Amino acid sequence: MATISFRSLMLFSAVLRLFLIIYGEWQDTHMEVRYTDVDYLVFSDAASLMALGKSPYERSTYRYSPLIAFLLIPNALIHRTWGKILFSVSDLLVGYFIRTILKLRGVPENLCTYSVMAWLLNPFTFTIGTRGNCEPIVCAMVLWIIICLMNGNLLHAAFWYGLIVHLRIYPIIYAFPIILTLDQSHFQSGKKPILTDWISSKIQSTNGSGSIKVTDPCHIWVSLKSMFTRGRILFGLISAAVFFFCTGFFFYLYAWEFLHEALLYHLTRTDPRHNFSIYFYHIYLHYEHEFALSEKLISFLPQVMVQLVLIWRFAQDLPFCFFLQTLAFVAFNKVITAQYFVWFFCLLPLVLPWTNMKLKWEGWACILFWIGAQSHWLMWGYLLEFNGKHVFMQLWMASLLFLAANTYVMVTFILRHTSSPVFKQLEHGHSNISTKID
Amino acid sequence: VGNLDDSNPSSSALHGVNEFITEAYFENHASLIDSDFQGFISKEIPPEFCEVLQDKLEPVPKLSISHRHLIGEGSHRRLSSSIRLEIQPGSKFTLPAHFCDAILVERLPSGVFADPFELQHLLQRGVFTGAAVFGDTNLELPSVRSNRSIVEIHMDIGPNILSGNNNGLEINLEVPLHARYAPLGENGFSRIEFSPPDLFTRCSFEGNSHKQSCIFLSTNTSFELKAGAVVWDVPCGIKKHTGIVSVVTFFSAIVSALLIVFTAFHYSDTTGCKNLKQM
Repeated sequence: MATISFRSLMLFSAVLRLFLIIYGEWQDTHMEVRYTDVDYLVFSDAASLMALGKSPYERSTYRYSPLIAFLLIPNALIHRTWGKILFSVSDLLVGYFIRTILKLRGVPENLCTYSVMAWLLNPFTFTIGTRGNCEPIVCAMVLWIIICLMNGNLLHAAFWYGLIVHLRIYPIIYAFPIILTLDQSHFQSGKKPILTDWISSKIQSTNGSGSIKVTDPCHIWVSLKSMFTRGRILFGLISAAVFFFCTGFFFYLYAWEFLHEALLYHLTRTDPRHNFSIYFYHIYLHYEHEFALSEKLISFLPQVMVQLVLIWRFAQDLPFCFFLQTLAFVAFNKVITAQYFVWFFCLLPLVLPWTNMKLKWEGWACILFWIGAQSHWLMWGYLLEFNGKHVFMQLWMASLLFLAANTYVMVTFILRHTSSPVFKQLEHGHSNISTKID
Repeated sequence: VGNLDDSNPSSSALHGVNEFITEAYFENHASLIDSDFQGFISKEIPPEFCEVLQDKLEPVPKLSISHRHLIGEGSHRRLSSSIRLEIQPGSKFTLPAHFCDAILVERLPSGVFADPFELQHLLQRGVFTGAAVFGDTNLELPSVRSNRSIVEIHMDIGPNILSGNNNGLEINLEVPLHARYAPLGENGFSRIEFSPPDLFTRCSFEGNSHKQSCIFLSTNTSFELKAGAVVWDVPCGIKKHTGIVSVVTFFSAIVSALLIVFTAFHYSDTTGCKNLKQM
């Protein structure tokens, strides 16, 4: 295969996105079906309200931080495509950050480029930003946090982490793996962390040094004390301070409307309308009466169980842990919309250099199973929503198949992954009293 | 209240002097009840009463529905109404700066809603001269958690009256509507019936000192007698599915979770001995 330079790839991706933004304007003007996402109209209206000094929450269905509306004020002042350009630039920034992360770990140039292509040339991703969805900004911030951690900039990482949890609550799932990674054996004051590079990760795996550490029960007290390291405390305090400052500031400006629409709505959201989640029909069938507490807890159990095990098993391999956690979070969520997919698509290129999965045919099996299950669901969804057919059962079964596809992808990636903790142990690090297990 | 004027300054500019008949109803009522609304109409808008026009002996344009049906399939359709405008033969309007609107007030049944932002888009394209949604404008809630709403549409008929050539005219009006998730049923479909709309004519003109307008209520007895109600069958969940769906949903979630957990526990670092991906 001919090699493509990263610069050419970025240039082509930028031109593609610019073309799609221009095309989107044409389609919106000349065709009944818009190219632009409905959410973009919501953002724009909220931004217009903000420009007039009003609350963005006067726009119904605006359920984001006021920061998003603030960023889009130029939509009202300059041109309505400002937001799409901003999101597409973030999209390109994600590609740049992916390359930065892979280069920090010594991944060869061609492998870097192909991994970046998995983001930049993914139809899901280049349509998301150009249609006016804000997720590329979130993805760019997640990757920037990883870069900060890899460079030992804990304060920066903590700041951006607090901000991103304020913007989009879901990154809270990364809290535990980040805290676990901030081990004194990896992070010491005045020393830059040492990264495990791509070549040596194979040697580490052979020696088993990438495996998890389990604390000897006789030394639990010492281990608990060692949890509270300077790095972990700083990270927790700063990110919490940023989160609460942003939340408190906007609560002061917009009161309960902000709290409800931007935070509480997402925490308690159960949507009976059809979506990719296996829970949608169950929620619809029970919508006329409240769920019992036991029912609510049971529905959380699979999600919590998977998250805890993935964190416990893969936290040291931070990008891989993030990828699996995000995929699992989306797959087991009570509501799944297509925009959530970019949350793990931006992390997929970070794990590709460490997978033993061949494109032929395991890779293709994952791709075709996942896309096929999604297309199958979309077919039934179309029959229900646009043809008015009674296909609730079929649509629900399609969502079960989609969960199966997500599970298959996760299991395959785990089985084919080369363990690669991001950070090496520093000299004169934290004394290791734990026992390794294979 | 989903008055478009409040949310979009540009639409206010389009019809800054428009007054919506329905707005006053929701100032005194929390929800839409047909009998209350009929009482409101009969109190606020006496039929064919207008001092100024009576003084001038101007004929009152009469509106009636000649045809009504739903266009499209699925959850997103358009309620099409053909409005017939009748003027007495040989009559002419002589008042200067005459401007008349046909006003269609659709009292939407439970389970159907109009999107104020979609109507705003149509307004900006000049399809209507005025449009507003009143009542429950929440776009997301299912029927069991939502209330009814009213859509009021204004269409310009003034130039057609002034032409003086027609003694009958038809205006076609399509209102985009969306179905909410219906209450659970036994047979899989929930039937929604539309009652006939309320039709008004409003004519505005320059008076001696200020702008005046008159509103006339039209009756639709001929349409109601001739045609049956417009119906919309919306797919709904079936109650007897509840048990099996809940059990299989949770079982599938648990099985998938256990598969992932099992794989993670038994993940072997020795897979690192295999060749790294060659690309």
